[in-house]
Amino acid sequence: MSENDNKYEMIFCIINAGFSEAVMDAAREAGARGGTVMRARGTAGKEAEEHFKITVHPDKEVVMILVPKDIKDAVLSAVYNSAGMSTAGQGIAFSLPVNKTVGLQ
Amino acid sequence: MKKKDKQQTVAVSEKTQRSTPAQGSSAPIKLELLITIVDKNKAEFYIDLIQSYDVNFQFSEPARGTAKAEILDYLGLADTDKTVIFSVVRSDRLDELMYVLDMKFRTIKNGKGVSVSVPFSSMIGTSVYTFLCNAAEPVWGSNAK
Repeated sequence: MSENDNKYEMIFCIINAGFSEAVMDAAREAGARGGTVMRARGTAGKEAEEHFKITVHPDKEVVMILVPKDIKDAVLSAVYNSAGMSTAGQGIAFSLPVNKTVGLQ
Repeated sequence: MKKKDKQQTVAVSEKTQRSTPAQGSSAPIKLELLITIVDKNKAEFYIDLIQSYDVNFQFSEPARGTAKAEILDYLGLADTDKTVIFSVVRSDRLDELMYVLDMKFRTIKNGKGVSVSVPFSSMIGTSVYTFLCNAAEPVWGSNAK
């Protein structure tokens, strides 16, 4: 069992397809070591798009990055600046607390 | 007559004990979402392994690692194809499961992976909960908070 319990957070970043490299480059600069990319599909409806005046690209990628808690804010900030809603990546990012980890060594 | 009443009282008491939480507990056993990232060709093995720990609900998604081409070449690795396995696990089985996963990650050839657990904060539906717990009725535990 890991001795790193409660010392990590999992950052999820949902972005338009093709922007995962931009996210990972920014995350690495902020101290992250690596990540995992999954393909996904956005489901925002037409009404929501009109209300928020955005266009939802249905092809998405989900980037999962496991980071130590102390650099979580820096990584989130870097991801937001490089692929946030105001960029072509139109990404959203959030983090979840991680209880236990194995396989990091 | 009195003896019969006493027997009935005992029977009711035992029935009550079975349907209420054990002493010192205040809530059902918690559930956690276990996220396991492994090589694509080892996914089936790990899915079967996790399933044997009272896990009734899992789903897996194809994914890829983000290691750069020059690092892959340096390490002699061919590709970055991964599978992410999402499993709902009872918290009282989690320590044992993660210990076994750790052993497998260290000992199986090309079986390296990472596994993290994220706690559920809430859920709704008794039948869904009992299904996810792999129990016939809600499970009450002393480690519940």
